[in-house]
Amino acid sequence: MKDIMRIKCLISTEMESLLNQQIRKEAQSSSIYLAMASWCDRNGFDGSSVYFFKQAEEERQHQLRFFKYVLDMGATAISPDVSGIKIEYNSFREVFEDALDQEISVTQSIKNIAALCHKEQDYVTMEFLNWFLKEQREEEHKARRALELFEVIGEEGTGRWQIDKHVGDIKYDSEA
Amino acid sequence: MQATETICIKPSITEVFSTASGAVYQCDKDNCWYIDFAGKVNRFDYRCLHKLRKAVYHIDVEALLLNPKRSADMEIVFICACDHTYILTTLEIIALKELLQGTFTMLELNHIIYDRLHRLAV
Ligand SMILES: [Fe+2]
Ligand SMILES: [Fe+2]
Repeated sequence: MKDIMRIKCLISTEMESLLNQQIRKEAQSSSIYLAMASWCDRNGFDGSSVYFFKQAEEERQHQLRFFKYVLDMGATAISPDVSGIKIEYNSFREVFEDALDQEISVTQSIKNIAALCHKEQDYVTMEFLNWFLKEQREEEHKARRALELFEVIGEEGTGRWQIDKHVGDIKYDSEA
Repeated sequence: MQATETICIKPSITEVFSTASGAVYQCDKDNCWYIDFAGKVNRFDYRCLHKLRKAVYHIDVEALLLNPKRSADMEIVFICACDHTYILTTLEIIALKELLQGTFTMLELNHIIYDRLHRLAV
């Protein structure tokens, strides 16, 4: 008996559904960052608003990257519905705390997919995923650095204004 | 004199899984499956078989059984862009679910065997 399933599709159904979950997760991230950009803009934090607009765009690219991979492998990519995105934040700092939380949860779910890759010996998806693992290193680093500005600069006086000015300068350029 | 011709037909249809209420066959020639269930035999290609599985797995049998408001014990399994529709009783749904679960387990097993044996570099 031929292995028709394998002829038609490279990834398992379990992998397919996990990748579709990740597509939703990236779309959610994009929406969350957009909401953060909106909040920052409304509250006079222009620098941070620009920063979050850029993040939202990046997350959209991540979503598409997963989306195309699923299709390329012969599986079904599902356009996700995203709802329940927070609009209001209690403080400038809370925005950055949420941003880091979001990145950590994305890293976790990518690690989850990696675990399934190893379980299934799906080295093709693993190789695809490597880009994201490296990307998460950068994403978490940036989010952590941004939050650290609150400690380094402090929120008193013109502190928040300073923080907002410096958020855009955060870079991660590790050769490792 | 007449030459006797021997026609060799390589069987391309294999039974994948069967239960008391139905059976699924795979056709290697056409890359499709035939599902013998509820008194008819339907042909499914790769996409449609997946859609059927999704549709059937999604039916909440427990909710059907517990719902007192249901007047007729009938459920329609409609698959988008596929020629076949099933109109089934709750018992038939349970039977179809069982048939599909067995089928996909066998297909998965076949895949593992292929992966471990046939696809090894010689
Ligand atoms: Fe991302
Ligand atoms: Fe991210």
